[in-house]
Amino acid sequence: MSILLIKNLYAEVDGKEILKGVNLEIKGGETHAIMGPNGTGKSTLASVIMGHPKFIITKGEIILDGKNVLDMAVDERSRAGIFLGMQNPAEVPGVTNSDFIKTAMNTRSEEGKSISLFKFIIQYDKAVKELKMNEDLPHRYLNEGFSGGEKKRNEILQMKMLNPKIAILDEIDSGLDVDALKIVGENITKMKSPDLGLLLITHYQRLLEYISTDYVHVMMQGRIVKSGDQKLIERIDQEGYDWIKEELGIDDERVFIEEEEERIILGTCATKEALDL
Amino acid sequence: MMKYNDITKLKKNIPSEIRKFFTEKLNNYLVIIDGEVIIKNLQSSFEKLSINYNNVMDIVVPRNFSEKETLHIFYIQENTDSVINTKITLKENAELNYFEYLFSNTESKVDFVSDSYISENAKLRYSGISKFNKNSKVSVIRNSNISRYGSSIYSIAEVSDADADLRINMFLDGDYANAVAKTVAITSKKQKVRIKQIIEHNAPDTEGYIENYGVSNNDSSLIFEGVGKINKNMKRSIARQQNKGIVLGENSRLDANPLLLIDEYDVEASHGAAIGKIDEEQLYYLMSRGLTLKNAERLIISGFLSPIIKQLTTDELIEDFLEVVKRKTL
Ligand SMILES: Nc1ncnc2c1ncn2[C@@H]1O[C@H](COP(=O)(O)OP(=O)(O)OP(=O)(O)O)[C@@H](O)[C@H]1O
Ligand SMILES: [Mg+2]
Repeated sequence: MSILLIKNLYAEVDGKEILKGVNLEIKGGETHAIMGPNGTGKSTLASVIMGHPKFIITKGEIILDGKNVLDMAVDERSRAGIFLGMQNPAEVPGVTNSDFIKTAMNTRSEEGKSISLFKFIIQYDKAVKELKMNEDLPHRYLNEGFSGGEKKRNEILQMKMLNPKIAILDEIDSGLDVDALKIVGENITKMKSPDLGLLLITHYQRLLEYISTDYVHVMMQGRIVKSGDQKLIERIDQEGYDWIKEELGIDDERVFIEEEEERIILGTCATKEALDL
Repeated sequence: MMKYNDITKLKKNIPSEIRKFFTEKLNNYLVIIDGEVIIKNLQSSFEKLSINYNNVMDIVVPRNFSEKETLHIFYIQENTDSVINTKITLKENAELNYFEYLFSNTESKVDFVSDSYISENAKLRYSGISKFNKNSKVSVIRNSNISRYGSSIYSIAEVSDADADLRINMFLDGDYANAVAKTVAITSKKQKVRIKQIIEHNAPDTEGYIENYGVSNNDSSLIFEGVGKINKNMKRSIARQQNKGIVLGENSRLDANPLLLIDEYDVEASHGAAIGKIDEEQLYYLMSRGLTLKNAERLIISGFLSPIIKQLTTDELIEDFLEVVKRKTL
């Protein structure tokens, strides 16, 4: 069983602080969901865990089974068992899906012991069928020209093949039609095991109808401001976030307030100072 | 007809780099070493072609000839400085898939000239790879003359270690003729490569497309100069050009200088360029699945170069190409 520990994590991009003290612990067998309004730092948290180079960690720790994740390069994190199903996966022309996954699987097997082609094809075909994807998928170029829903299914397909210890799925439900949502949800549920810790980032209750969750967290202003269980989702689904903001005395849930507004606040502060108030 | 397993008995030694291609999967090929035909292995359908070699390789494809298989020619230069000349003539309605592999493993001066003549409604798909020794001085000129409704498609991979000057000159001489000049080039170390393509429109309603894919590594420099030239009165012609490139090395250069010379109003012309470092988001994505930086770069680059991989007929040729990509992008 793996444990991913995030302690007091601060991160910035282009000098702008986005994560402001995130604390979270995900254990194998658990399913967590993160919800929260747009622009509150959910995807940033996911990218920072995976190691996207554009973010700078200014404070805090990420630890996987006692190992310092922040010391690892992106590929090392993946091989250590972290998987991120991305909100907007890149398109890579000329690289077929099957070549890509085969290479990814080979990097995990020991030196010189690459996965047999036969085994690979059987496993890949099975995953394609289970996700009800088109049979030409292995020969198509990685995400190129994929519809929104196809891209999301392709992320889950990769997760199936790579068998991670900690999987973060960032809005895996967006762009999926009702049937696809069911297929993806059921496939994720089938992957659940004591060896897999799941972190689902979502805006809607729908996905969680197919995947039971143990913990629900709400993110605002770059940190987790409230945690609870499944009931929290239901209430958010019905009432939105205003009650939480009210409860916590949060005016603006966004990570950073527009520069112009900041200047006004600074301005008033300066006036106050000048008047010695 | 000579079978592949007989090649051990040949009077001239075929370099191992080339010998590996001659498996039972490769059909229809000629091997020429220092101006001498060493192997001629053709299926019966290709017997209809007239192939004569006498200083000049002269291939004539008869009217209405059509064959899905590819004719391969391996030119190997071992000892002499030589001038290689190839002439391909397609008669009316003929179709040919042609592939050439240019190879030298010694220090030499290489002058290669090929001319193709595409008659009315004929179609040539010409592909080629050049792999010259790094101490060679290379000049390759390929000309194509295209008649009415004819089509000539050139796809060339320049993966030598030598300094090279490559040219493709295509002449659209009859109306509705169509030409494509596609090049893939990888430069490394201190190599300097210049590739110049000209498509000249000498008839109305003609269409030309120049498409380049380049990767420059280390301290090398790679220059693409594509010229679309539409002469006066060649109305409704189309000249398009696309240059794509990845600059891998800190000190490498990759330049595309597209040029449109147009002397007629009623035409369509365009060019686009996308040259830069390897895409960060693509790298991140592949690495997030466990690929090392080098593996990820290599996969992205081979994907980027896939337009040429599609032209290769056997796994051995594809592997050979990918190996060079790997070596030159290290
Ligand atoms: N590269 C960047 N440069 C500047 N700002 C950025 C960058 N990346 C993210 N941000 C900002 O950080 C904030 C948080 O973004 P993030 O993508 O984490 O939000 P989110 O909670 O995932 O939102 P959504 O629900 O819309 O997906 C946003 O205001 C976003 O504009
Ligand atoms: Mg997001």
